[in-house]
Amino acid sequence: MNESELYKKLIDLYAERSLPPELESEMEVASQNDPNLKAEMEDLRWTVDTLKSMPAPEFTEESYQRILMKVYASGVEMLKRSPDPSHLQLKLPLQG
Amino acid sequence: MPDDADKDSLVEKRWLDALAQGDPGALAGIYELYGERIFRFCYRTLGNRQDAEDVAAETFLRVLRKSNELRADAAFRTWIFRIARNLCIDKIRQHRLLELPPDLQYAGGDEKTALRLAVQQALSELPFEYQEPLVLCDLEDYAAKEAAEFLQITVPALKSRLYRGRKALKAKLNETWNHQSHE
Repeated sequence: MNESELYKKLIDLYAERSLPPELESEMEVASQNDPNLKAEMEDLRWTVDTLKSMPAPEFTEESYQRILMKVYASGVEMLKRSPDPSHLQLKLPLQG
Repeated sequence: MPDDADKDSLVEKRWLDALAQGDPGALAGIYELYGERIFRFCYRTLGNRQDAEDVAAETFLRVLRKSNELRADAAFRTWIFRIARNLCIDKIRQHRLLELPPDLQYAGGDEKTALRLAVQQALSELPFEYQEPLVLCDLEDYAAKEAAEFLQITVPALKSRLYRGRKALKAKLNETWNHQSHE
Protein backbone atom coordinates (compact mmCIF):
# COMPACT_ATOMS: atom_id res chain seq x y z
CA MET A 1 0.00 0.00 0.00
CA ASN A 2 1.48 3.35 -1.00
CA GLU A 3 1.32 6.55 1.02
CA SER A 4 -1.66 7.95 -0.88
CA GLU A 5 -3.68 4.76 -0.38
CA LEU A 6 -2.83 4.70 3.31
CA TYR A 7 -3.87 8.34 3.60
CA LYS A 8 -7.24 7.64 1.97
CA LYS A 9 -7.78 4.55 4.08
CA LEU A 10 -7.13 6.42 7.31
CA ILE A 11 -9.45 9.26 6.30
CA ASP A 12 -12.14 6.76 5.35
CA LEU A 13 -11.84 4.97 8.66
CA TYR A 14 -11.96 8.32 10.44
CA ALA A 15 -15.06 9.30 8.46
CA GLU A 16 -16.74 5.99 9.33
CA ARG A 17 -15.79 6.40 13.02
CA SER A 18 -14.02 3.06 12.81
CA LEU A 19 -10.61 4.11 14.13
CA PRO A 20 -9.52 3.23 17.65
CA PRO A 21 -9.92 6.32 19.88
CA GLU A 22 -6.17 6.86 20.29
CA LEU A 23 -5.56 6.85 16.54
CA GLU A 24 -8.55 9.11 15.98
CA SER A 25 -7.11 11.62 18.45
CA GLU A 26 -3.71 11.41 16.78
CA MET A 27 -5.26 12.17 13.40
CA GLU A 28 -7.12 15.14 14.82
CA VAL A 29 -3.92 16.49 16.34
CA ALA A 30 -2.04 15.96 13.07
CA SER A 31 -4.78 17.71 11.11
CA GLN A 32 -4.35 20.88 13.16
CA ASN A 33 -1.19 21.60 11.16
CA ASP A 34 -2.62 20.49 7.83
CA PRO A 35 -5.68 22.45 6.70
CA ASN A 36 -6.25 20.20 3.67
CA LEU A 37 -6.24 17.07 5.80
CA LYS A 38 -8.51 18.74 8.35
CA ALA A 39 -11.00 19.82 5.68
CA GLU A 40 -11.03 16.38 4.08
CA MET A 41 -11.51 14.61 7.40
CA GLU A 42 -14.38 16.92 8.36
CA ASP A 43 -16.02 16.81 4.94
CA LEU A 44 -16.00 13.03 4.67
CA ARG A 45 -17.15 12.51 8.23
CA TRP A 46 -19.99 14.98 7.69
CA THR A 47 -20.96 13.16 4.48
CA VAL A 48 -20.99 9.72 6.12
CA ASP A 49 -22.89 11.02 9.16
CA THR A 50 -25.43 12.71 6.91
CA LEU A 51 -25.98 9.58 4.82
CA LYS A 52 -26.29 7.37 7.89
CA SER A 53 -28.87 9.75 9.37
CA MET A 54 -31.13 9.50 6.32
CA PRO A 55 -34.31 7.72 7.38
CA ALA A 56 -35.02 4.42 5.65
CA PRO A 57 -37.83 4.53 3.12
CA GLU A 58 -40.96 3.29 4.85
CA PHE A 59 -42.18 -0.10 3.66
CA THR A 60 -45.82 0.72 4.06
CA GLU A 61 -48.66 -1.77 4.18
CA GLU A 62 -49.81 -0.26 0.88
CA SER A 63 -46.45 -0.94 -0.76
CA TYR A 64 -46.40 -4.45 0.72
CA GLN A 65 -49.84 -5.17 -0.75
CA ARG A 66 -49.16 -3.48 -4.10
CA ILE A 67 -46.06 -5.62 -4.66
CA LEU A 68 -48.06 -8.74 -3.82
CA MET A 69 -50.79 -7.65 -6.22
CA LYS A 70 -48.29 -7.00 -9.03
CA VAL A 71 -46.91 -10.51 -8.59
CA TYR A 72 -50.43 -11.91 -8.36
CA ALA A 73 -51.43 -10.01 -11.53
CA SER A 74 -48.65 -11.85 -13.37
CA GLY A 75 -50.48 -15.08 -12.76
CA VAL A 76 -48.53 -16.25 -9.72
CA GLU A 77 -50.73 -17.34 -6.85
CA MET A 78 -48.26 -16.52 -4.13
CA LEU A 79 -51.04 -15.63 -1.72
CA LYS A 80 -52.46 -19.16 -1.82
CA ARG A 81 -50.15 -21.57 -0.17
CA SER A 82 -50.24 -25.21 -1.05
CA PRO A 83 -50.50 -27.50 1.95
CA ASP A 84 -47.18 -27.38 3.74
CA PRO A 85 -44.89 -30.26 2.86
CA SER A 86 -43.61 -32.20 5.82
CA HIS A 87 -40.34 -30.26 6.01
CA LEU A 88 -42.30 -27.02 6.38
CA GLN A 89 -44.49 -28.10 9.23
CA LEU A 90 -42.46 -26.22 11.79
CA LYS A 91 -43.96 -22.92 12.82
CA LEU A 92 -42.43 -20.29 10.55
CA PRO A 93 -42.24 -16.61 11.49
CA LEU A 94 -44.58 -15.33 8.84
CA GLN A 95 -46.44 -12.08 9.23
CA GLY A 96 -50.15 -12.30 9.43
CA MET B 1 -30.58 -20.68 21.07
CA PRO B 2 -29.91 -19.66 17.49
CA ASP B 3 -29.82 -15.93 16.85
CA ASP B 4 -32.14 -14.15 14.39
CA ALA B 5 -29.69 -14.50 11.49
CA ASP B 6 -29.48 -18.27 12.04
CA LYS B 7 -33.26 -18.54 12.24
CA ASP B 8 -33.63 -16.49 9.06
CA SER B 9 -31.12 -18.70 7.33
CA LEU B 10 -32.96 -21.85 8.41
CA VAL B 11 -36.31 -20.48 7.31
CA GLU B 12 -34.79 -19.28 4.04
CA LYS B 13 -33.41 -22.75 3.34
CA ARG B 14 -36.82 -24.32 3.91
CA TRP B 15 -38.56 -21.89 1.59
CA LEU B 16 -35.92 -22.23 -1.11
CA ASP B 17 -36.12 -26.01 -0.94
CA ALA B 18 -39.90 -25.80 -1.25
CA LEU B 19 -39.63 -23.40 -4.18
CA ALA B 20 -37.08 -25.61 -5.93
CA GLN B 21 -39.55 -28.49 -5.53
CA GLY B 22 -42.13 -26.47 -7.43
CA ASP B 23 -44.21 -25.08 -4.60
CA PRO B 24 -45.19 -21.59 -5.85
CA GLY B 25 -46.62 -20.77 -2.42
CA ALA B 26 -43.07 -20.74 -1.13
CA LEU B 27 -42.55 -17.45 -2.94
CA ALA B 28 -44.73 -15.83 -0.27
CA GLY B 29 -42.26 -17.03 2.32
CA ILE B 30 -39.31 -15.62 0.39
CA TYR B 31 -41.23 -12.35 0.08
CA GLU B 32 -41.76 -12.24 3.84
CA LEU B 33 -38.02 -12.63 4.36
CA TYR B 34 -36.72 -10.30 1.67
CA GLY B 35 -39.61 -8.05 0.58
CA GLU B 36 -38.76 -5.09 2.78
CA ARG B 37 -35.00 -5.25 2.18
CA ILE B 38 -35.44 -5.49 -1.60
CA PHE B 39 -37.99 -2.68 -1.61
CA ARG B 40 -35.74 -0.42 0.45
CA PHE B 41 -32.72 -1.09 -1.73
CA CYS B 42 -34.80 -0.34 -4.85
CA TYR B 43 -36.27 2.82 -3.34
CA ARG B 44 -32.86 4.08 -2.24
CA THR B 45 -31.49 3.37 -5.71
CA LEU B 46 -34.41 4.66 -7.76
CA GLY B 47 -35.73 7.39 -5.46
CA ASN B 48 -39.26 6.56 -6.49
CA ARG B 49 -41.80 4.43 -4.61
CA GLN B 50 -43.80 3.27 -7.60
CA ASP B 51 -40.73 2.14 -9.51
CA ALA B 52 -39.36 0.49 -6.38
CA GLU B 53 -42.59 -1.49 -6.04
CA ASP B 54 -42.47 -2.49 -9.73
CA VAL B 55 -38.87 -3.62 -9.49
CA ALA B 56 -39.45 -5.46 -6.22
CA ALA B 57 -42.39 -7.35 -7.74
CA GLU B 58 -40.38 -8.21 -10.85
CA THR B 59 -37.51 -9.38 -8.67
CA PHE B 60 -39.71 -11.95 -6.94
CA LEU B 61 -41.17 -13.07 -10.26
CA ARG B 62 -37.61 -13.63 -11.55
CA VAL B 63 -36.84 -15.66 -8.44
CA LEU B 64 -39.81 -17.88 -9.25
CA ARG B 65 -38.85 -18.20 -12.92
CA LYS B 66 -35.29 -19.12 -12.01
CA SER B 67 -36.27 -21.36 -9.12
CA ASN B 68 -34.63 -24.35 -10.78
CA GLU B 69 -31.29 -22.54 -10.41
CA LEU B 70 -31.80 -21.87 -6.71
CA ARG B 71 -29.32 -23.00 -4.15
CA ALA B 72 -30.30 -22.73 -0.52
CA ASP B 73 -27.07 -21.28 0.74
CA ALA B 74 -25.49 -17.97 1.66
CA ALA B 75 -25.33 -17.00 -2.01
CA PHE B 76 -29.09 -16.56 -2.27
CA ARG B 77 -29.12 -13.14 -0.63
CA THR B 78 -26.41 -11.91 -3.00
CA TRP B 79 -28.22 -13.48 -5.94
CA ILE B 80 -31.62 -11.93 -5.23
CA PHE B 81 -30.07 -8.50 -4.65
CA ARG B 82 -28.20 -8.77 -7.95
CA ILE B 83 -31.51 -9.44 -9.72
CA ALA B 84 -32.97 -6.32 -8.08
CA ARG B 85 -29.88 -4.33 -8.93
CA ASN B 86 -30.00 -5.26 -12.62
CA LEU B 87 -33.67 -4.37 -12.78
CA CYS B 88 -32.89 -1.02 -11.09
CA ILE B 89 -30.23 -0.33 -13.72
CA ASP B 90 -32.81 -0.96 -16.44
CA LYS B 91 -35.22 1.43 -14.72
CA ILE B 92 -32.56 4.11 -14.35
CA ARG B 93 -31.84 3.87 -18.07
CA GLN B 94 -35.55 4.37 -18.77
CA HIS B 95 -35.61 7.36 -16.38
CA ARG B 96 -32.68 8.98 -18.08
CA LEU B 97 -34.42 8.58 -21.40
CA LEU B 98 -37.67 9.98 -20.05
CA GLU B 99 -36.02 12.45 -17.62
CA LEU B 100 -38.33 11.46 -14.78
CA PRO B 101 -37.65 13.22 -11.46
CA PRO B 102 -37.27 11.21 -8.23
CA ASP B 103 -40.03 11.23 -5.57
CA LEU B 104 -39.88 13.81 -2.84
CA GLN B 105 -40.05 11.17 -0.14
CA TYR B 106 -39.19 13.43 2.78
CA ALA B 107 -42.13 15.63 3.64
CA GLY B 108 -41.88 18.87 5.59
CA GLY B 109 -40.22 22.22 5.17
CA ASP B 110 -37.54 22.47 7.85
CA GLU B 111 -33.79 22.61 7.35
CA LYS B 112 -33.20 18.92 8.05
CA THR B 113 -35.82 18.00 5.47
CA ALA B 114 -34.25 20.34 2.94
CA LEU B 115 -30.88 18.70 3.54
CA ARG B 116 -32.36 15.23 3.07
CA LEU B 117 -33.95 16.29 -0.18
CA ALA B 118 -30.66 17.75 -1.33
CA VAL B 119 -28.84 14.51 -0.41
CA GLN B 120 -31.44 12.40 -2.20
CA GLN B 121 -31.16 14.57 -5.30
CA ALA B 122 -27.34 14.66 -5.23
CA LEU B 123 -27.19 10.89 -4.74
CA SER B 124 -29.45 10.29 -7.72
CA GLU B 125 -27.15 12.43 -9.87
CA LEU B 126 -23.97 10.53 -9.00
CA PRO B 127 -22.55 7.98 -11.44
CA PHE B 128 -24.05 4.59 -10.64
CA GLU B 129 -20.65 3.13 -9.73
CA TYR B 130 -20.46 5.64 -6.86
CA GLN B 131 -24.13 5.62 -5.96
CA GLU B 132 -24.33 1.86 -5.35
CA PRO B 133 -21.60 1.59 -2.69
CA LEU B 134 -23.05 4.60 -0.86
CA VAL B 135 -26.53 3.06 -0.87
CA LEU B 136 -25.26 -0.29 0.33
CA CYS B 137 -22.66 0.75 2.91
CA ASP B 138 -23.74 4.17 4.18
CA LEU B 139 -27.51 3.96 3.82
CA GLU B 140 -28.25 0.25 4.23
CA ASP B 141 -25.31 -0.52 6.52
CA TYR B 142 -23.91 -3.49 4.63
CA ALA B 143 -20.45 -4.71 5.63
CA ALA B 144 -17.80 -3.90 3.03
CA LYS B 145 -17.20 -7.59 2.31
CA GLU B 146 -20.85 -8.30 1.61
CA ALA B 147 -21.31 -5.16 -0.50
CA ALA B 148 -18.20 -6.06 -2.51
CA GLU B 149 -19.52 -9.58 -3.14
CA PHE B 150 -22.85 -8.19 -4.19
CA LEU B 151 -21.22 -5.76 -6.64
CA GLN B 152 -18.76 -8.44 -7.78
CA ILE B 153 -15.74 -6.26 -7.03
CA THR B 154 -12.89 -6.54 -4.51
CA VAL B 155 -13.08 -4.92 -1.08
CA PRO B 156 -10.28 -2.43 -1.96
CA ALA B 157 -12.17 -1.50 -5.15
CA LEU B 158 -15.33 -1.00 -3.09
CA LYS B 159 -13.44 1.18 -0.60
CA SER B 160 -12.02 3.23 -3.42
CA ARG B 161 -15.50 3.78 -4.90
CA LEU B 162 -16.82 4.70 -1.47
CA TYR B 163 -14.07 7.27 -0.99
CA ARG B 164 -14.61 8.83 -4.40
CA GLY B 165 -18.38 8.59 -4.09
CA ARG B 166 -18.42 10.38 -0.74
CA LYS B 167 -16.20 13.13 -2.11
CA ALA B 168 -18.35 13.47 -5.21
CA LEU B 169 -21.51 13.61 -3.12
CA LYS B 170 -20.05 16.28 -0.86
CA ALA B 171 -18.98 18.32 -3.88
CA LYS B 172 -22.49 18.10 -5.33
CA LEU B 173 -24.04 19.11 -2.03
CA ASN B 174 -21.68 22.07 -1.77
CA GLU B 175 -23.12 23.30 -5.04
CA THR B 176 -26.65 23.35 -3.66
CA TRP B 177 -26.45 23.32 0.09
CA ASN B 178 -24.52 25.42 2.57
CA HIS B 179 -24.12 22.91 5.35
CA GLN B 180 -23.19 23.78 8.89
CA SER B 181 -20.19 21.50 9.33
CA HIS B 182 -17.60 24.25 9.56
CA GLU B 183 -19.48 26.55 11.91
